[in-house]
Amino acid sequence: MLNYIWAGLIVLSLVFGIAYDTRDLTNDTYRNGSPFEVGIVPNEGGDFSDRRTDVSVLVRAEEYRSFYNVSEAPDSSFAGVVIRTEQGLQLRFAQDVAVPEPWNTLRQETSSRDNDLRGRLVNFDASLERGAVEFAPVRFVKMHAIASAALSMAELAVELALSLIGVLALWMGLLQIAEKSGIINSLVRWTQPMLRPLFPDIPKGHPAMGMIVLNLTANMLGLGNAATPLGIKAMEELQTLNPEEETATDSMVMLLAMNTASVQLVPPVLLVALMGLQINQLIFAIIIVTTISLVVAIASAKLLGRMKRFRQSAPRAGMEG
Amino acid sequence: MDTLKTIIEIASAFVLPLLIVGFPLYGLFKKVPVYEEFVEGAKGGFKTAVTIIPYLVAILFAIGMFRASGAMDFLVEGLRPLFTWVNIPPEVLPMMILRPLTGSGSAAIVLDMIQQFGEDSILVKMVATMFGSTETTFYVIAVYFGAVNVKKTRHAVPAGLLADIVAMIAAVYVVRWLFG
Repeated sequence: MLNYIWAGLIVLSLVFGIAYDTRDLTNDTYRNGSPFEVGIVPNEGGDFSDRRTDVSVLVRAEEYRSFYNVSEAPDSSFAGVVIRTEQGLQLRFAQDVAVPEPWNTLRQETSSRDNDLRGRLVNFDASLERGAVEFAPVRFVKMHAIASAALSMAELAVELALSLIGVLALWMGLLQIAEKSGIINSLVRWTQPMLRPLFPDIPKGHPAMGMIVLNLTANMLGLGNAATPLGIKAMEELQTLNPEEETATDSMVMLLAMNTASVQLVPPVLLVALMGLQINQLIFAIIIVTTISLVVAIASAKLLGRMKRFRQSAPRAGMEG
Repeated sequence: MDTLKTIIEIASAFVLPLLIVGFPLYGLFKKVPVYEEFVEGAKGGFKTAVTIIPYLVAILFAIGMFRASGAMDFLVEGLRPLFTWVNIPPEVLPMMILRPLTGSGSAAIVLDMIQQFGEDSILVKMVATMFGSTETTFYVIAVYFGAVNVKKTRHAVPAGLLADIVAMIAAVYVVRWLFG
């Protein structure tokens, strides 16, 4: 299943990337090579004799719409600067100004570092205060985008994993103490009757059950940071019971499904930060929805596990190698 | 309901400090060499984090490419008629597609919709409930199974996604029922 979803994501992104880039080329979305006419008014005291002249760039909304064939139009006036270079005049818009598509994409593609929309200034007439700006040609935007997304996400994945080290070490250390001092064992004894039906293949008194309880409790209380190491520890305990190292057992799938359903009595910290006090109204809604999803997760993990293809793939003792 | 909320709030504030202090304290009482055992256990943290890396890279880069390709917009447009037909506002569609794939991406959607519609709007309540009551399924799969080197995930993906889909549809109807 994961094989198909994974390959599907990659192949689809290439297909869609090509489709969008072809559309851009045939529609000439970025009007490569055609200058766009603008008004160039120098700020007080400026007269284009210096190397840099601060100017206001005037854009007619109507012209923008018909030139690029879009419905949005930019503001009518932007701060900018005209620079005299060896290759002629260059017009640069101020950094980080809000511009609509396709200028936004043009800017990302041609000036990603400074984030100032820039182009060659042609047909410039200082007395009429008019000229036309010709942007560098932009092609294959989506191809660049998917390639750079792949690279930057690969980097992010490592950052995420490494940022877990500290918390993982903290919890694994604490859990080691908990195991040696018998806390896990008593936890197992207390909760076994309740959780046993969900995890029938965990032997009685096995510490895996205790880790699962800790993981689910942390989840419930919205302690995402603690829930992850506890869940990982629970998985490691379950792995010791697994006869076939690379294949998930029914109990692993159950634990995972319960985690993705994320039983939550306390909303996650991130959502509280986003919503502020409004979150109070939502707590009840979240509890209802999360309970529904927990029930569905348990039911589907159980029922799907009974399907022929998943029953056959279940790890069995003696199947290894 | 208010007392329940207070109890939950107190519990979630105290449980972490109590566990962090309680485990070593109880260990001390049981004559366990707590410091030595802590260090022994903590050694596993590094190894586990490094084990997760290949799984996380595989999942995250594929999702990143998919988002960057513009496939999402296409999907949203394609599914729009279906959604209006079952009476779910199409505005929540990007959230439903992104939630199992990326945590930061779906948080960005909540933020974006707050700015667009205001905190009080029913649409924002819907997406916030979706965000709060589900998890980033593919991330959880990569981390939990990655940590123990499980590659064949069997019915974990369908079970997790099924729970996500039902939760998100339920969020629409529950919010509408409570606030509509």
